[in-house]
Amino acid sequence: MQRSRWVGAGFLASALVLTSCTSGPAGVDAKQDSKAPLELWVRTTPGGPGEQGTLRVAAAFGKATGYKVEVTAIFDDFETKLQQRAAQKNLPDIVMNDVTQLGAMHSQGLLREIDLDKVKSTEQAVGQALDSGKSVDGKQFGLPYSAQASALLIRKDWREKLKLQVPQNWDDFAAMAEAFTTKDPDGDGKKNTFGLAAPLSTKRGYASWYFSNFLWAAGGDFITETGDGKYKPAMTTEQSVEAVQWFRSLGCKDKVIQPGAVTMETPPTNETFEAGRTGMFVVGPYLMPRFDESLGKDKYEVVPMPKGPKDATVLAEGGSIYLMAGSENRAGQDAFADFAISAEGQKTGMQGDTGFTVQLPVNKTVDISKVRPDPRWATYAEAYQNSGRYAPSIPNWTPVRQATAETINALMADCGLDIETKLGELDNQLAGILKEQGIAAP
Amino acid sequence: MSLDQANPAVPSAAGPATRTSVRPAGGAAADRRRRNRRTGRWWTPWLFLAPALLLFLYFKFIPMASALTMSFQDVQPYLGNKWVGTENYSTVLHSDGFREAAWHTVVLAAGQTAGSMALGLVLALLMEGQGRRLGFVRSAAFLPVVVPIAVVAELWRIMYHPTGDGMLNSILGLVGLGPSGFINDPDTSMASIMLTGIWRGAPYDMMIFLAGLTSVDRGLYEAAKVDGASRLQRVWHVTVPGLRSVFSILFILAAIRGLRVFTEVFLLTNGGPDGSTEVVMTLIYKLGLEQNRLGVGAAGAVLLFIATLILTVVVHLLRRRESK
Repeated sequence: MQRSRWVGAGFLASALVLTSCTSGPAGVDAKQDSKAPLELWVRTTPGGPGEQGTLRVAAAFGKATGYKVEVTAIFDDFETKLQQRAAQKNLPDIVMNDVTQLGAMHSQGLLREIDLDKVKSTEQAVGQALDSGKSVDGKQFGLPYSAQASALLIRKDWREKLKLQVPQNWDDFAAMAEAFTTKDPDGDGKKNTFGLAAPLSTKRGYASWYFSNFLWAAGGDFITETGDGKYKPAMTTEQSVEAVQWFRSLGCKDKVIQPGAVTMETPPTNETFEAGRTGMFVVGPYLMPRFDESLGKDKYEVVPMPKGPKDATVLAEGGSIYLMAGSENRAGQDAFADFAISAEGQKTGMQGDTGFTVQLPVNKTVDISKVRPDPRWATYAEAYQNSGRYAPSIPNWTPVRQATAETINALMADCGLDIETKLGELDNQLAGILKEQGIAAP
Repeated sequence: MSLDQANPAVPSAAGPATRTSVRPAGGAAADRRRRNRRTGRWWTPWLFLAPALLLFLYFKFIPMASALTMSFQDVQPYLGNKWVGTENYSTVLHSDGFREAAWHTVVLAAGQTAGSMALGLVLALLMEGQGRRLGFVRSAAFLPVVVPIAVVAELWRIMYHPTGDGMLNSILGLVGLGPSGFINDPDTSMASIMLTGIWRGAPYDMMIFLAGLTSVDRGLYEAAKVDGASRLQRVWHVTVPGLRSVFSILFILAAIRGLRVFTEVFLLTNGGPDGSTEVVMTLIYKLGLEQNRLGVGAAGAVLLFIATLILTVVVHLLRRRESK
């Protein structure tokens, strides 16, 4: 019958369409053309100040070298959109995205290795920043262009009203959190303030992200490298358990963390700090422009994190430049990376009042206090230099962050759970994740 | 819409059957030719359907088919996808918390479905009638359905504020209860999400019940009244049986919606605290999209599709048996 023949033809056609979508040769070497414009994707809000900053860097690069750069800003579903371009075998030439994306992009074959001899300005780069761009096998696949670390924001007016000193160690920290909670620092006669703002939702692993500042300061770790790029779970070590116990007592015993923290990611947590509900917050420098406007520059201060049982290690993060595979202008890619890390490129990226492309410079010759006289930036720069620590570049960091976030979230939400049992379960889970990624220590 | 379809098979099946029995068998071909000339070529209806079919093909069927293929692959678009057999499925099925997530989904779907239908029916009974003011009240009651879910979630997060000065907690405080942690307490988080779902789903059910109520014969109410039935008895013995087909349609719609529940959970708790509200969709989102493993995400979606399909088919079979 005619109709069934047509249906059959339809199926055949769709099958053809499908196969053409799903298969094809991988990673073909593209013919080189040093005049081809460079397509650059940056993960930032389209039309926002972040895009403006990137455009400034691209323009300065064009002026200095003659290469042409087309900037595309994407924020939502950045990774998915990149996958779509990967499926078309037509990746952008350069991607500027979070450092932690290295493992995922590298294991998908999206990146090309960076030859440091061709990127001269990396000689001036901060060592630990450069290391964060290395994959698990020690090869360079990303070049950081911006760095940041966490520091402690304190409501200065509250601290002064209660006549407290800036906390120097964890005991001071806990005492201040308690004072902010119980001694009515805003003076409205109501018990409506809390010591510490903390986003402890499981969403995107926020609980784990925030807790890393405390875990590392106690000498604990999520996973520990055993050498040769192999890792083993470390959440049941004495130091890790101690960190969890101490942090949990802030929420369960002293009750100094804002209520509802276990379902909050950063936006509602930021609001608690702005609205005068919480007095301390451990965050990166990117929130300063926002709090200066909403809360007022004079109301809060930026100080280094107090020392924990081991030291004052905080989470270091940042953005990296990734040179994508299959580009037809590799010389241009190298030149852009070289420019972005150079003193001139870094200074261009630091211009503007908000949404800077470069938070803290990764070039040793750039003195932040000369570019940004505000001393709070120096505090952040010092925290990064002396105490900043990146998450390890394993093939996929997300599952580790998710699993630890689930456990921290559980322990903070249910004060009746047994810490050691929960952390034991977490270690088993982490062992499974490491094994799946082929980096488990024997 | 669906109310009139309760028994559509009977008249249409009877029509052609009587006609063919009257006509001689040899005239069938000639009959078709004549009909063709009258109604156009055989492909005419397909031509009219073509725009919709083409859209469905590209935006529904091809993506569905490629999701099915992807569910058996390690998806890495640049290097080329690798066939991995049923590995993705076992990743989903053996992942930590899949069983809990499946159970939570069923509990949430059942609770929301039952709650929305009960509340929807009560609202419909209260707001049945012709008055102009009733129309206004009905529109007001329908508002939760048209408000974007992101706004709903944010509103409820504020209402669920876990201290004594939170909105719902201050009401609970008036009657000497609370304060409750609501979404922040593993013991109450599921019930809180269910309540939000019911608040949002009930008005939708109400509208469909209202449409169904107009088809219940007024005479039956009067007859029941004459026989001495109380108000409650009238609802139970006249209204509810009269709405049977509405119930089954609503049940299917709500159950499908319930299995796919994602947005409110994602926005309110993202499966926390302590995994107490993890549902299948949030788990798939974490395993597939957040970890950038699209094959695993596709496998989860296929599993959910199969579960929905089975549920729909079972309900259909039950309905058919009942109508016989």
